[in-house]
Amino acid sequence: MAIDPKYVELINADIDGEISSAEKSELEAFLADSPEAQALHAELLALNVSLDSLPGLDSPPHLKHTIMASITQPKPSRQSENTNSVRGLFAAPALKYAATFAAGAILTLSLFSSDRASQRAFDDVTGLVGTISDPVPGGPGVHTAQISQKEVAGTVTLRSSGPILIVDFDLVSSGPVDIVASYSDQTIWFNGFAQLESPGASISAQSGRVTMQIDGKRRYAIFLNNAGDRDITINLQFMSNGESVYNMDIEYAQAGRSG
Amino acid sequence: MALSKWTPAKIKSPAVAFGRQLFAVPVVGMNKPDDNKLMERCIKGDRQAFEKLLIKYEKPVYNAAYRMLHNPDDARDVTQAVFLKVYEHLDQYDPSRRFFSWIYRITLNESINWLKKSSREEALENETADKTSGPEQQAENARISEGLQAALMTIKSDYRSVIVLKHVLGCSYAEISEVLDISEKKVKSRLYNARKLLQERLTDQGLH
Repeated sequence: MAIDPKYVELINADIDGEISSAEKSELEAFLADSPEAQALHAELLALNVSLDSLPGLDSPPHLKHTIMASITQPKPSRQSENTNSVRGLFAAPALKYAATFAAGAILTLSLFSSDRASQRAFDDVTGLVGTISDPVPGGPGVHTAQISQKEVAGTVTLRSSGPILIVDFDLVSSGPVDIVASYSDQTIWFNGFAQLESPGASISAQSGRVTMQIDGKRRYAIFLNNAGDRDITINLQFMSNGESVYNMDIEYAQAGRSG
Repeated sequence: MALSKWTPAKIKSPAVAFGRQLFAVPVVGMNKPDDNKLMERCIKGDRQAFEKLLIKYEKPVYNAAYRMLHNPDDARDVTQAVFLKVYEHLDQYDPSRRFFSWIYRITLNESINWLKKSSREEALENETADKTSGPEQQAENARISEGLQAALMTIKSDYRSVIVLKHVLGCSYAEISEVLDISEKKVKSRLYNARKLLQERLTDQGLH
């Protein structure tokens, strides 16, 4: 026999904690004489307990920064475009990487000041574009570190491709942040720079040191020539308003010896 | 100096990451005066006030979007879209209403629009809940949670919305009524129907 809809509603109200004392008494009296209603009450209660126990997920660590960085820009005319561009940054197709990195690399090579710049470097970076077009999502030789500071957040990834070390910055900052990447091994030299979907880049390179600036969401990569496949420690210093806000070391060890 | 020892990246499956979460979403204190004061400051261009609202509502919005979409990347994008929409439409906020009802409604609408845009809605309604989710050694509660989420994805978004509002965001009947702009009577009947469908799906999966 079907349960009177009135009592079905009271059962739901009871398990939701939205029942008055008078209704509760009425429901209890009804339940005492209806095994069917008792069974429904027990089933719904069990379901509610399960639903209330659904675990909470932490939102992605850099989401807040990404959102705050987005609103520092002039109000976007079309929000969907903005969202899509962010999605594109997270999952850009390989060809897009290649084209953008090529454009970025060539543009930047005409701009940066380096005491090690040479025709050899240009040739190497041009060749490197093909490598970048096949991004390695993970696995041996790919190392990722997370940064989660108030001023800057995101990931820095280090990978090697033949003699080239690629340091990939996928970051978002709440304002201008200078990044100084320095390394002491003088046999390793700056080999190029690329950017993805960024309006402009400020970068300078000296022996053993590369400095760049980010403001908002940026995807940069710097290329270091490590022809000897030597172990290297790169110090990354993040500066905001002239003060260090984060400092970290990243290490590369030869294949077979890396952790 | 923070020393980051590079180790190969480990890719966790969403299911594993999901199962490792120990605590449910904390229910946001839906304090009308506080939120409204922050909104007033936002409208005057105070970014810190917006950031405070973002900190307060980021996790509930993300979790609601995740429960609506069952995809962490989509939930991230929808969360971002929600806050950008709030920021873009600050001048359209009605201070006579509570902020949470506005942002939760935007969240549900954005999630539903996302599903429609990606043409997943129809597929999801026909989706068969995964009966083989998780290895045997996975904790029982994680298995039930996955089963519940899979079952949630098989019911219509209107029903899923009331379940998310009630059980993920901790809204009362009155608050759900405010968010969805429907009567409390309708809230009750929608919740009951949603639960009935969920029960059926869980029974099909052998979980209930």
